[in-house]
Amino acid sequence: MTATPVAPTGDPTTDRPVGAGQRRVARLWPFAPAGLVLLLLFFIPLGIVFVYSFWTTNGSFQLTPDWTLKNYLNFFSTETYLRTFAKTVLMAAIVTVVGLLTSFPFAYFLVRYVGRRWQRIALLAVIVPFWTSYLVRVYSWQAILGEHGLINGLLLQIGLIKEPLDVFLYNDVGVFIVLLYLYFPFAVLALYTSLERFDFTQLTAAQDLGARPDQALRRILLPQIRPGIITACIFVFIPILGEYLTPTLVGGTKGVLIGNLILNFYRGGSFPGMAAGAFLIAAVVLVLLIAFRRYLRIEDVVART
Amino acid sequence: MARGSDVLELMPVSPYARLVRAGLRLWALVALGFLYLPVVLLVLFSFEDSKTIGFPITGLSLRWYLGLPEKTTLIGAVANSILVAAVVAVVATIVGTMAAFPLVRGGLRWPGGVRVLFTMPIMLPGLLIGVGLVTFVFGALKLRSLGLLPVVAGHLVLTMPFVVLIVAARLQGFDRRLEWAAEDLGAAPPTVIRRIVLPLIFPAILAAALLSVTLSIDEFVVTFFTIGSQVTLPIYIYTQIKFGVTPEINAVATLILLGTVLALGLGYASVRAGRWALRRIRGRGRLEEAY
Amino acid sequence: MARSFTRREFLAMSGAAGAGAVLAACSSGSTPSPSAAASSAASSAPSASPSSAPSAAASVGGPLTFLTWSDHFKDSVLADVKTKIGVDVQISELADNIDGFNALQGGKVYDMVSGDALWVPKYYDAGYITPINLDDFEVSSQLYSMAKTFDFWTKPDGYLAYPWGWSPIQIVYDPAHVTPAPTSWEVLIDTKYAGKVVMENQPTDIMLFAGVATGAVDVYNMTDAELATAKDWLTKLKPNVYKLVQQNNETIQAMASGEAWLCTQNLGAPDRIKDAGGPETVAFVPSEGTTGFIDGEMTIRDGPDTGNVRPYLEIAAQAEVVAQNFLDNGRPLWNEKAYQVLVDMGKKDQADRYLYNQPDQALKMRLKGPAGNTEAYVNAFNEVFGG
Repeated sequence: MTATPVAPTGDPTTDRPVGAGQRRVARLWPFAPAGLVLLLLFFIPLGIVFVYSFWTTNGSFQLTPDWTLKNYLNFFSTETYLRTFAKTVLMAAIVTVVGLLTSFPFAYFLVRYVGRRWQRIALLAVIVPFWTSYLVRVYSWQAILGEHGLINGLLLQIGLIKEPLDVFLYNDVGVFIVLLYLYFPFAVLALYTSLERFDFTQLTAAQDLGARPDQALRRILLPQIRPGIITACIFVFIPILGEYLTPTLVGGTKGVLIGNLILNFYRGGSFPGMAAGAFLIAAVVLVLLIAFRRYLRIEDVVART
Repeated sequence: MARGSDVLELMPVSPYARLVRAGLRLWALVALGFLYLPVVLLVLFSFEDSKTIGFPITGLSLRWYLGLPEKTTLIGAVANSILVAAVVAVVATIVGTMAAFPLVRGGLRWPGGVRVLFTMPIMLPGLLIGVGLVTFVFGALKLRSLGLLPVVAGHLVLTMPFVVLIVAARLQGFDRRLEWAAEDLGAAPPTVIRRIVLPLIFPAILAAALLSVTLSIDEFVVTFFTIGSQVTLPIYIYTQIKFGVTPEINAVATLILLGTVLALGLGYASVRAGRWALRRIRGRGRLEEAY
Repeated sequence: MARSFTRREFLAMSGAAGAGAVLAACSSGSTPSPSAAASSAASSAPSASPSSAPSAAASVGGPLTFLTWSDHFKDSVLADVKTKIGVDVQISELADNIDGFNALQGGKVYDMVSGDALWVPKYYDAGYITPINLDDFEVSSQLYSMAKTFDFWTKPDGYLAYPWGWSPIQIVYDPAHVTPAPTSWEVLIDTKYAGKVVMENQPTDIMLFAGVATGAVDVYNMTDAELATAKDWLTKLKPNVYKLVQQNNETIQAMASGEAWLCTQNLGAPDRIKDAGGPETVAFVPSEGTTGFIDGEMTIRDGPDTGNVRPYLEIAAQAEVVAQNFLDNGRPLWNEKAYQVLVDMGKKDQADRYLYNQPDQALKMRLKGPAGNTEAYVNAFNEVFGG
C-alpha cells in the first residue's frame, strides 16, 4: 500500500505521488454521489429549460418545439432590456463598492483593535440577523423607510421636513439600501478572513522606513488582501444580478431590476421568454465565474459562521 | 498573524492614531446598528397591539404570541422547515464531504473547472433552479405525489456546493504526515480516513452542516416553485403577508431568532464548561495540542 | 493553520445547533398529524415525512388539494367539511390565473383549481380539467340559472367549472383627496395624483386596463397600433403608481393607511377599506367600460382525489356559506339562494349596493382571460415598467 516517496519537497500535503491509473478511478468514487446530485438536480433540469428557451408557446400556452432564436433576440429588440440590465449591473456595482467601503473599516477595526474573544462575538453578531426570516426583515425596512416610518418620523420630529418624504422606499434608493443591508455580512466576512492573515507588523516596518500611514495602507495592505476583496466582490455582485424578490418588495415601480422583467414573462404565460432571459443572465454569471475562478473561495466567506 | 490583543498595538502612539481608532470604533457601532435596526424593529413590532405592522405603535400586548399555538398551519410549516433542513443538512454533508476528497487529492483533472461547476448553483438566479427542477421532476419525469421531496432536492442543490468547498478548503492544508504515520503503523486506508482524517476535519464538516441548515430554513425563491400543498416557514410567512400583514409573523420570526440564539448560547456554554472540567482533570496547557 | 481557537467554537456552535435541529426533526414527527382528533382549522396538514405520498390515489377520504384564491375558502368551513365528511382540504394559494396554469403545466398535482371566465376554456383545451355535469350537484339548484349556461363554459361533454363569484373591476378613490368626482380611466393618469395610485402586479391585466382606457376593439388581441396606444397610456400611468402589490389585501391596506388615494379593485372595496380602519371611499365603473371576472372551480383531470370535489362543494357552496363569503369579501356570487339569506340577515342594502341580485351585469363586462399574443403584451408592459 505504501509507495516510496520520491524527492519530497517538504510540503506534507502534496508529496505523496498520485497512484497509477486504476487507483485514480478508484479514488474518484466518493465524488460520484455529489456528481450525481449536480447532474440530476441541476444540470439536466437546466438543460431542459435551455431547450425550452428555443421553443414557443401556442395560444393555449402549450410548449411547441418550433425551434427559434426569437426568445433571445427579443431581449435585444428594444432598448428596455439592455437599459434595465445596465441598471442592474450598475446597482450591483454600487452595492459592491459601497459594501466594500463600509465593511472594510469594520473588518479592519475588528482585526486590529479588538481582542480575539470579542472578534468572534462581533462576527457572530454580524451573522445573527441571518437567522431571522428574510421576508420579515425586508418588511421591517418598510417600517423604517416608509412614509410612516422611522426616518420620516425622526425628520418630522426634529422639524427638518414638514411632510413625510417618499424618496426612501419604492424606488431605487430603497432597493439599494436593502440590498446593501442583505449583502453587507458577506463583504465583512470575506474581508475579515483575508485581513486576519495579514501581518500587521509590516505596516509598522513600513512606517519605520518612512512611509506615511496611508501610503503603508495603500501599498502594503491593499495588495495583500486583494484576493479577499475580489472574493467579497464576487459574492456581492453576482447574486445581485439575479435578484428580483427585493425589488418586488421594496422597489415599487421605479426600482425594477432585470430579474423582475424576466419574471414578468413567466407571469404572462410565456415560459420560453422567461427561460431565454434567465439564461442570458446565467451566461453573464458563468463568464464572470470562469474569469474569477481563482477567487471562488466560499470557505472564506462562510466558514467563519 | 494579526495580533489584536498585542498590547503594543493597543497603545496608540499619536493623537492621529487615537482619533483613527475612535473613528473606527464609532463606525463599527454604526455598522452594527445598521445591521440590527430591522431586527430590533422586528422584535418590537411583535409586541404591538394594532393589526398593522409599523409605526405608530398604539399599545403593547402579547396577543400575537399567545395566538400562535392555535395555528396548526404555522406549526406544521415550522415542522416542515425543520424537517427539510435536517434532511438536507445530513445528505448535503455526507455527499459533499465525500466529494471533497477527490477534489483535493487528485483524481479530478480540472479541479478549477469543477470548482466553477460547484459554485454555479449558488450564483445562478434561484428562479432558474426552481423552474428547472419543477419542469424536470413534474413535467419531464412526470412524477407525482412527492410531497416535500422537490423542496429537499432544491435545497440540496443549493447547499451541497458549500459543503464541498468548505470541506475541501479544510482538506487542502491537512497535514498528511498524520495519515502516513497511521499507515506506517499498519492501518488500512479506510481506517485512516475514519479515525484520523474525519475527526480532525470534523469542525469544518459541522460548520458546513450548520450552514446548510441556515440556508435551508430561510430559503424562499426555489422553495416557492417546488412547494406543493404543504408549506415551509418562509412560504407561510409570504402567504400571511398576502392576507394582510399582522404582527403575528413578527412573533414567529422573533421566536425563531430566540431559539437559534439560545441554541448557540447553550452550545458555547456547554463547551466552556466541558473545557473547564477537562482542564481540572487533566491539567493546564495540553488541551490546545489535541487539535 | 491558526484556526485552532475557532475550531472549538465551531464544534460548540455547530454541535448545539445541529443537535437541536436533529432533536427538533425527531420531535416534529409527532406534531399534529392529520387525524380525526384535530378539530381546529385543517386547511393544511403537514405530512410527517417528505418521502411519503400525501394520500392514496383517488379515494374519498384522502386530502382534497385545492389551488385557489384566498376569497374562495374559509378556515371554519374547511373545519366543517372535515367534521362532516372527514375530508382534509389542503389549500395552495393562487396569485393569478397564470400561476395555476404554470403549476399544472409544470406538472404539479391538484384536485381542484379556481379560474376566471375565459381562462377556463384554456385549461380545457390544454387537457387539464374534466367537465362536470351540474345536475349531479344538489347544491347547483341554488345557482342563478344564467350561471349554469355560460356559453364560454359549455362544452359537449359538460360544463367546465362550478360557478363561484363575479365582479367588475372598479376604480376606487378617496373623495377627500380626489376631486372632482372622476368618471373615467383618465383619472389614473392625472398628474395631480402622482404616486398615489396602487394596483396589483398583473402585467396582462394592466395591459387590459390600458386597452380599455384607450378604446381598443378587442383588448385580448390588440393590434400593434392598439398596443402602442395602450403603451403610451401606461407610460403616463407609471409615475402615478407608487407600488404594484402582490395581492389585493395590500391594496386595501394602502388605501386604508392613506398611502394611496386611487386603486383598481373588485366590488366591495369601500367596505373592506372601512373595515381596515380607512376613510370613506367611493367606487365607480369608468365610462369607457371595464374588465371583470367570473370565476369558478374546475376539477382536474388526473387529480388523485377528485372524488372529493362534489362532496366538498355540496358543503362549501351552500347558501349560508356563500352569504358569509359575500359579507367577508364584498363581491357578489352566483348562489341565488344566498341572496335570500342575506336579506333575512338584514343585509339587503349591502347586497343590492354590490349588485348581488343583478347578475346580468356580469355579462356586460369584458371578461377576464389570457391575452392572445402574450409576448407582445409582456414586452409592452416591460417597456413601460422596466428600470
